[in-house]
Amino acid sequence: MADMNRERHRTRETAFYLFTQQSLPACKPVLTPGWVITIFLFMGLIFIPVGLITLRASHSVVEIVDRYDTECVPEAFRIDKISYIQDDSIPKNCSRFMKVHKYMKAPIYIYYQLDNYYQNHRRYVKSRSDKQLLHGQKYHDTSSCQPVELNNGQPIVPCGLIAWSLFNDSFTFIRERAELKVNRKNIAWKSDRDHKFGKNVHPFNFQNGTLIGGGKLNPKVPLSDQEDLIVWMRTSALPSFRKLYGRIKEDLDADDVIVVNLMNNYNTYSFGGKKKLVLSTSSWLGGKNDFLGHACVIIGSSSLILAIVFTLLHLKYRRPYGDTSYLPWSRKSLSG
Amino acid sequence: MSGWETVNEPLKSQPGSSSRRTVSRTVTLGRVQPQAPALRTIFCNDREANFAHRYKGNSISTTKYNIFTFLPKGLYEQFRRVANLYFLMVSILSATPYSPVHPVTNMVPLSLVLLFSLIKEAFEDWQRFQNDNAINNTLVDVLQAQGWKTLQWRKLQVGDIIRVKQDGFFPADILLLASTNADGVCYIETANLDGETNLKIRKALEKTWDYLTPEKACEFKGEVQCEQPNNSLYTFTGNLVINNQTLPLSPNQILLRVFSECLSSIVSNVVKGCSLKNTDFIVGAVIFTGHETKVMMNSMNVPSKRSTLERRLDKLILALFSTLFSMCLLGAMGSGIFIDRKYFYLGLRQNVEDQFNPSKRFLVIILTMLTLLTLYSTIIPISLYVSIETIKFIQSSQFINKDLNMYHAETNTPASARTSNLNEELGQVEYIFSDKTGTLTRNLMEFFKCSIGGEIYGTGMTEIEKGVTERKGIKVQEVQTSNDSVREKGFNFYDGRLLRGAWRNEPNHDACKEFFRCLAICHTVLPEGDESPAKIKYQAASPDEAALVLAAKNFGFFFYRRTPSMIYVRESHVERMGKTQDTSYEILNVLEFNSTRKRQSVVCRYPDGRLVLYCKGADTVIYERLGSGNDALNKATRDHLEQFGSAGLRTLCLAYRDLAPDLYESWNEKFIKAKSSLRDREKKLDEVAELIEKELILIGATAIEDKLQEGVPSCIQTLSRAGIKFWVLTGDKMETAINIAYACNLLNNEMKQFIISSETDAIREVEERGDQTEIAHFIKEDVRKQLKQSLDEASQYFCARSGPKLGLVIDGKCLTYALDSSLRIMLLTLGLNCASVVCCRVSPLQKAQVTSLVKKGAHKITLSIGDGANDVSMIQAAHIGIGISGLEGMQAVMASDFAIAQFRFLEDLLLVHGRWSYIRLCKVVMYFFYKNLAFTLTQFWFTFNTGFSGQRFYDDWFQSLYNVIFTALPVIIVGLFDKDISPPLSKKYPELYKEGIRNKFFKWRVVAVWAFFSIYQSLVFFYFISAFSSTSRDRSGKMFGLWDVSTMAFTCVVVTINLRLLMMCNSITRWHCISVGGSILVWFMFIFLYSGITTPLDRNENMYWVIYILMSTPSFYVTLLLVPVAALLVDFLYLCVQRWFFPYDYQIIQEMHKDDIHCTGPSGVVGSKQQLIADEERSNEISQLPREVSKHSGFAFDSPGYESFFASQSGKYVPPNAWDVARRASMRHKATPK
Repeated sequence: MADMNRERHRTRETAFYLFTQQSLPACKPVLTPGWVITIFLFMGLIFIPVGLITLRASHSVVEIVDRYDTECVPEAFRIDKISYIQDDSIPKNCSRFMKVHKYMKAPIYIYYQLDNYYQNHRRYVKSRSDKQLLHGQKYHDTSSCQPVELNNGQPIVPCGLIAWSLFNDSFTFIRERAELKVNRKNIAWKSDRDHKFGKNVHPFNFQNGTLIGGGKLNPKVPLSDQEDLIVWMRTSALPSFRKLYGRIKEDLDADDVIVVNLMNNYNTYSFGGKKKLVLSTSSWLGGKNDFLGHACVIIGSSSLILAIVFTLLHLKYRRPYGDTSYLPWSRKSLSG
Repeated sequence: MSGWETVNEPLKSQPGSSSRRTVSRTVTLGRVQPQAPALRTIFCNDREANFAHRYKGNSISTTKYNIFTFLPKGLYEQFRRVANLYFLMVSILSATPYSPVHPVTNMVPLSLVLLFSLIKEAFEDWQRFQNDNAINNTLVDVLQAQGWKTLQWRKLQVGDIIRVKQDGFFPADILLLASTNADGVCYIETANLDGETNLKIRKALEKTWDYLTPEKACEFKGEVQCEQPNNSLYTFTGNLVINNQTLPLSPNQILLRVFSECLSSIVSNVVKGCSLKNTDFIVGAVIFTGHETKVMMNSMNVPSKRSTLERRLDKLILALFSTLFSMCLLGAMGSGIFIDRKYFYLGLRQNVEDQFNPSKRFLVIILTMLTLLTLYSTIIPISLYVSIETIKFIQSSQFINKDLNMYHAETNTPASARTSNLNEELGQVEYIFSDKTGTLTRNLMEFFKCSIGGEIYGTGMTEIEKGVTERKGIKVQEVQTSNDSVREKGFNFYDGRLLRGAWRNEPNHDACKEFFRCLAICHTVLPEGDESPAKIKYQAASPDEAALVLAAKNFGFFFYRRTPSMIYVRESHVERMGKTQDTSYEILNVLEFNSTRKRQSVVCRYPDGRLVLYCKGADTVIYERLGSGNDALNKATRDHLEQFGSAGLRTLCLAYRDLAPDLYESWNEKFIKAKSSLRDREKKLDEVAELIEKELILIGATAIEDKLQEGVPSCIQTLSRAGIKFWVLTGDKMETAINIAYACNLLNNEMKQFIISSETDAIREVEERGDQTEIAHFIKEDVRKQLKQSLDEASQYFCARSGPKLGLVIDGKCLTYALDSSLRIMLLTLGLNCASVVCCRVSPLQKAQVTSLVKKGAHKITLSIGDGANDVSMIQAAHIGIGISGLEGMQAVMASDFAIAQFRFLEDLLLVHGRWSYIRLCKVVMYFFYKNLAFTLTQFWFTFNTGFSGQRFYDDWFQSLYNVIFTALPVIIVGLFDKDISPPLSKKYPELYKEGIRNKFFKWRVVAVWAFFSIYQSLVFFYFISAFSSTSRDRSGKMFGLWDVSTMAFTCVVVTINLRLLMMCNSITRWHCISVGGSILVWFMFIFLYSGITTPLDRNENMYWVIYILMSTPSFYVTLLLVPVAALLVDFLYLCVQRWFFPYDYQIIQEMHKDDIHCTGPSGVVGSKQQLIADEERSNEISQLPREVSKHSGFAFDSPGYESFFASQSGKYVPPNAWDVARRASMRHKATPK
């Protein structure tokens, strides 16, 4: 036991000695041509396959995108879209045809995509009250919800700009006269539904003001079940974003034509935002995104090219490593 | 003599000259006390009477803070840093609604940094407090109620009578009243004060000798009238009034308290140094207490120096601030343009606060500025200063102080970094200013040759002479010294004509006799130990003196005993060989040595009544005072002196004068009067001394060899290969200086040498005419001419690469004029282009002036190295001051930034520690710059995508912990362990050091490269993550929101930034891996926890469960692989290309020694385990060594007193070191006139 202690003490002393004398064991990587070429080669060998796999995954995703904001405005109103969208008396329904160009395997995800919509604007992001969403009217301090906090002296549940501007276009899908079943459940994050939105909190005094921002909520349904709201309130990172609308549980065959009946309620015209409808299958990697794959392939192949370039350099203009003639003082002594 | 006077003259004549003012400012040491007009009156042994004066108590406190002032004062100190203040302001701003971030974002890093700094401060202060306490509670005997009572030091009051026993310390500055020794003498050791180990004598006034017992001491009712407390260690003016009799007091009666920092180490039983020696006990009266003691008044607040790197760092921070400002401005403009009512979902129609009000766009811009200022605050690296401090502290305390290569085993002295501010400055030194004596040479004096009556004795050959003859191509014949030659430390002389009594047969044996007697009598040496020639030890103020007395002993004039009034010499009989006779000489007066006088005289009375004045001193001084006649001898001796000088020997002239009794008596009266005067005592004494030190008769000259220190030439050669230029500043003669320079490889015959000397015939001619203004004018013109000529000649070599190296030699007198503002530029241009410069005959002030000339004029990093009090000024004037903790006193060390035991350790200090420290700190700074910029820029790019609203990208906690937790430790590890090449290699290739001198690693170009990579990487981070976010979804097709994307981005940032650190390492220890891996791991642990819990506090963001969702998607892993690689690929390519095509010098060396790295490296150590263990034990010993630096000391004979130097700077005259020889008490003269 004492021996062990002494041994431990000695080890510690040795370590301390090595520390103070600055001679701790270390590996000293020197970027020799061999290493440089090897590392580039290695990177190329890793990233090209990864990139190809990623690309393959991305390509396996079938995605149909349809921009409908302009098309769904009747010809007569195209000059002044804003008055069209703000006029409640004009019917907003609209039909779009989407052609499936490739077999799509269920589940098919329905997204709506908004462009040039700054959901990440500071004034917008902070205009909510998580406490109120969870506790409802029991929670009074909703000053963070400015400017949509109160209406007619009554608190608004859910308060804040985000909820107020809830997206309210709706879509129905028809294939060969039969309506496609769209599952609108479980589109919001489970953690949000369970922990952020109260089960006993019902919308109150919502969209009752003079200015209507967006969709209305059914006051009978508790917030935790208002999945559209929950999805909407998970604010996006960038001004162009997609949000999940629902899932189609049936496979779509190539050359199927889907008729989309939509209610074009939401106003993106005043600020020039685009509205798109996206049908997309999914791969293990997620949606259709060639960027990752391309990036990997580019990095991999440029690594390979660099490896080749360096190899050629090494063969042709061999730089003798540790060549003293590179040292300025030896150079001087050579010349002088 | 003239050297010193003329040096000071022009300065006095132009007191307002700027150069002088700046110099005196930089070298001011401690507080110069204005002479209070009032005298202090102390009633001994009468507490009530003293009470009215409210003298301070004896307790001392060296702490910076107390319990109540700690927080306010400590915080104030912290907020004097711009970065901290900025973060405070930003934190306050964060509490306003304009802030996008929670106050926590900026508060947390700030408070962590403050906490760390405050804990450090508190710890240091606590240690000081403990030391103070230990000192204040030391016990001492105090006279109370007719008996000795043991009290704590802190309870001591002015006027108390105390008893100090043998080996005890003096608790305050006390007046010696009585001692158990005969004659009221006591012996003290002042090693803790000035580093001198020899015993010194203090002698009580005769009137007070009896007050030894408590009964008697109670009766003592004296009144001390003395100067106000001041910081002059070696002076004291005062009178003691007893029984209406006024007795003058001198430093002779004063016992000083020791330095508290020495004391604290004594208290903790580290140093076994004592104060009272060879005396049972003494009784004394307390005069100055506590903070008013001379030593405490002297405790100097050496102004802390900031390193150049840190000053450049300030510029970098400034650049960051301006970047920050422009980023904010850009973003704010954008927000002003962006904000529009058309974005209906932003609710901008009514009740809009000012910041988003589209109709108040200007206000929007202003307020968004504030918003962005808080958002981008991470661009300022708040933890940078703390990290750098920590790194430097460990570097100095663990690496420099414990380096075995800089440990001097013989004197048991490790290197010691007295400040940790300047480590990296050591890696950029371009000019070294070195003292000669004790720095380049050993200060180990050996009597080598002499000239008596116009004849040279001594057959040895100095190393310098050998070098000279070798350079001339003559083979040196090793002179066979006969085996029976007398060899002793301090005496390296052989000449059969003088030794063993043979001198009697010399034609000039009378001169020999005078010569030896002068050596035996004219000195202030104390004999110690047995009174036999073999066993006696001499305690001398300087090694020169000891060598001279030793020489006298070997010539048969053995000085063996000294009493206050007598010197006993055992002389070999004048006529009969082999017989000895003991002769006693009565010492009537001692005219002490000081730097202005440069001589020392003793008036003695032979047993037969003959009155003689013996004088020894510098040749110039003695020759001025020689009587007429004897020109042949004087000329011969002068030639010999030159010969000695060119051999590198230190010379002294000896002279004597027979005095007529009546002449002496009349002079002695004046002397006594001067001695008892209260004001300007020393000045008056000097004036009186002048009256008698004239018409001297020259006896001869001595030559003492001062050997070069070990390894000096090779060290200098190595350092000059490293591109460092040497300036030797010495008080020695030109010939000596040049020869030492030759011996040290500073000058050689291949060099083009320029010598600017005032020793020309023309100047001498003008000087003989004696008109001061004419002399000044003439010399100035001459110096201008010489400088111009040298410069013209030198300038043709400036550009030529292959031309010879240049060397400049200039003497002090010329330097005085060359430093004039009109000639300064010329001197600087010439001096900077010289590989080495030798300045001889320079005063301490000039040393400082030359140093600051190069420091300020050339903006180069300067280093001064010296060992003596006369080097203090230049040590403080240079960027880095290094003290040799060797043979002389502690003053140089006390003023220095680093202390090393040997000159040759400079090689390790600069080439290894300095170089590493510089490279490491550059890396640390650059890395901090890079990591903050890269991180903040991702925020910046995000701002463009949020309608310039200033929305934060990252969670508050991410941002606040980024600098202090997730990326803090690895960079410190790099700052400590990064090692490009091993120490033997950096000494083998000193040229590598030039990279530091050229500041290759901290240029704006380097900053630009790093900035480029920061920008590139931040773009990769942001846009890759944006691309990832556009379609990435979890398994059930749910899209990611803002906080999911930002978490993803932050993860990539943390991983990349940490990996980038590994890429910049030259060596990777396991600590690198642990810290880098640990940092990444800590981030993941943090986010697992953080997103796994919901707090009752409304965080107002949806971090909940984010990481789990993220990590359940494969795209997370693909991105995490892709982004760091994409970000670092370009960096890696840069590193490859840089090394391939534009390698740094060190990289070549790395490659050359890539394979043998393991032999020199630590892994090879395993094989020599035994060696390792032995080394370890040594290092352990070192780590347990006391922080006491010097063991031996003494002042070089010609080193001017340090006190007087500083006093003269402040325009006062303070006499130099009072060497305490027991002198005839002045009272006794009055009582017994004959």
